[in-house]
Amino acid sequence: MKVNDLILQTVTKVVAFIILIFSIYLFWTGHYTPGGGFVGGLMASSALVLMLLAFDVKTIKNVIPFDYKMIIATGLFIAVATGLGSFVFDVPFLTHTFGHPHLPGLGEVSLATASLFDLGVYLVVVGVTMTIIQTIGESE
Amino acid sequence: MSFQILLNFVIAFVWMFLNNSRAGITFVIGYILGILILFILRRFFSERFYLGRVYAVVKLLFIFLRELFKSNIAVIQDVLKPKLDIQPCIFALPITVKREWEITVLANLITLTPGTLVVDISDDNALLYIHAMNINDVDETIDDIKNTFEKAIMEVSRL
Repeated sequence: MKVNDLILQTVTKVVAFIILIFSIYLFWTGHYTPGGGFVGGLMASSALVLMLLAFDVKTIKNVIPFDYKMIIATGLFIAVATGLGSFVFDVPFLTHTFGHPHLPGLGEVSLATASLFDLGVYLVVVGVTMTIIQTIGESE
Repeated sequence: MSFQILLNFVIAFVWMFLNNSRAGITFVIGYILGILILFILRRFFSERFYLGRVYAVVKLLFIFLRELFKSNIAVIQDVLKPKLDIQPCIFALPITVKREWEITVLANLITLTPGTLVVDISDDNALLYIHAMNINDVDETIDDIKNTFEKAIMEVSRL
């Protein structure tokens, strides 16, 4: 039986973008307010799952041609690389630093290397969640 | 519509550059001047002047709020009655709107006003199947929906 998914698909086309920007917001504000890489990654994969629910797997694979296993590897590499970067400055593994550089047009911003580690967490969470869901979804 | 808004933004930015100022109030002044220019030259565009469409969207919002208020009062009356004398039924509503977003907005407006609920769409997107909680006259309800929501949505998408 074929159902008409018009309303679900139209709403998804709008709502998926809102969920994605909310996930990026959660990722950015994780240092000072609740949020961070884990929740942001789960939120981003929930947007992708909503697209998978509204459309079919083939369409979404054409729209987002990423191999999620590579995303897991990239995230792990970023997280380990931020840890290894501490050896360059003769400090223990995973020592993080932060600064308040002046950027043109933005004024004083506070940047921390911990956010790079968080980016690794984010990518691993998105990759793992989507790998699990796609593997379950494709097996008959 | 979107092209006119973009043009209005470009005019406002040009006004900011000409004034050598990055303040927000300069942008607002430039935007208002851009509205004036676009209004005077509105015949150049294939679509109508975009503020008319903005007005139609705001009007649709207020129609929705009014209907929400009215129909919630009606449902409260049904709930508080000692005897349950409702007449549920499912009827088909032929729709004249064609675009995807119009059908979605119409269906969501019908669902959000209590007493009626969109159950399904036909495969050719020409009929909405609606479940009504308390109905006495099908034709009257159809006319009611057509005259309020559908007319307001078509007013928004009119070229």
